[in-house]
Amino acid sequence: MALSAVIRRFPAPSIVWSQRKCRWVSTAAESRLETVANSPKVPLRREDRDFLDSALRVNQAGELAATLIYKAQMPLLSRAHPHLRPLMKHMYDQEAGHFSTFNSLLARHRVRPTALYPVWRLAATVLGWSTGMMGREAAMACTEAVETEIGDHYNGQVRLLLKMIGEMEARGEEVSEEIRHLVDTVRRIRDEELEQ
Amino acid sequence: MRHRPSCIRSYHPYKHESNSSPFNPTEEAVLAASLRHVPTHGFTNASLSLGAREVGYLDITVNLFPRGVFDLVNYHLVTKRLALKKLLDIQAAKDDGGALTGLGIGARVRFLTLERLMANRPIIHRWQEALAIMAQPSYVPASIAELARLSDEIWFLAGDTSVDSSWYTKRASLSMIYSSTELFMTQDKSKAFAGTQKFLDRRFEDVRVVGRGISNIGNYLDYTAHSFINVLRSKGAKI
Repeated sequence: MALSAVIRRFPAPSIVWSQRKCRWVSTAAESRLETVANSPKVPLRREDRDFLDSALRVNQAGELAATLIYKAQMPLLSRAHPHLRPLMKHMYDQEAGHFSTFNSLLARHRVRPTALYPVWRLAATVLGWSTGMMGREAAMACTEAVETEIGDHYNGQVRLLLKMIGEMEARGEEVSEEIRHLVDTVRRIRDEELEQ
Repeated sequence: MRHRPSCIRSYHPYKHESNSSPFNPTEEAVLAASLRHVPTHGFTNASLSLGAREVGYLDITVNLFPRGVFDLVNYHLVTKRLALKKLLDIQAAKDDGGALTGLGIGARVRFLTLERLMANRPIIHRWQEALAIMAQPSYVPASIAELARLSDEIWFLAGDTSVDSSWYTKRASLSMIYSSTELFMTQDKSKAFAGTQKFLDRRFEDVRVVGRGISNIGNYLDYTAHSFINVLRSKGAKI
């Protein structure tokens, strides 16, 4: 039975039978789904898409650098301070997880990776190696500086993304689930970076 | 009740490209008709005028195309590139999975490149004209961009998910392979373009051999550097 017919018969139902899902659902949720499902799906505007592409590309480059810094520091620090090994391994695993998240996002949305990939690889390995050689304090200072900078960067990005979504909604457009999921992913990664 | 949004913005551009053409309906109609005249009249303004007349527009409609004949060449390039996705969908919809089941990425790239080359068959005897048009300095950037888009499309449709520097090297090498094979094809008189297929396979083999060589050198240098550092570490150096 159509939702409108249900509402005519029963003035204020809190639940209706959803034919699509074959179960009872709340009226509000079903009406939102129906209105959203009837709207045409269109691609993002050029400037929004370019912004998202560029944001993901920068994030991937950042996580690549972070992963390589830890990879270069780990052998030096864990030999000098074996008790730090589990902590370093935890931090490395976290960064590696972020890196693979962004890699899969780039592949999925067909975004080109950063052109300076080999440059970042070399620079990050050299940075990790030199701070590892300088000792534990230098390595930790490097980590602290990098994580703070990255946290601020992700913060700014989340702000810009929410601003973009706000502008789209002000124009009467709805944002698809994957874009909201993207914002949540960036938020989660920012929180994990700042906790270190 | 929530107001109905005017549209839902999605981040998957390539899902929509198959339904929407980058040309507006008038351009589409005139260029499609003009392309049908290319085998007889070549990539010239004559083809454009005949196409415009065929669809019922005045000859002056060709002023829609500020780049003149290059727009006709571009139309051919863009439509043949977008047709690759449709071809894949047709293959995938077949009962036995089509020609691409069980093929690795390399084999799929070869299949798609060959299909794209064979799509030039109806106008291949006019293609040298088109190459000359594309080589004009004002159109070179647009032509190279279109070649890069084709290369990206083929790798994407073949299932490549790499996002490191090999993204660039793969597309650059495929662009070179494709353009050299296309040039060869313009003078290939063999039956069913068998010569072109062999040329293509030789080019892929070249890239494989060179790639293997470079990765071998890379492995060797990597191994040497790591061994050197490990020897120093075993002597007690803190590096």
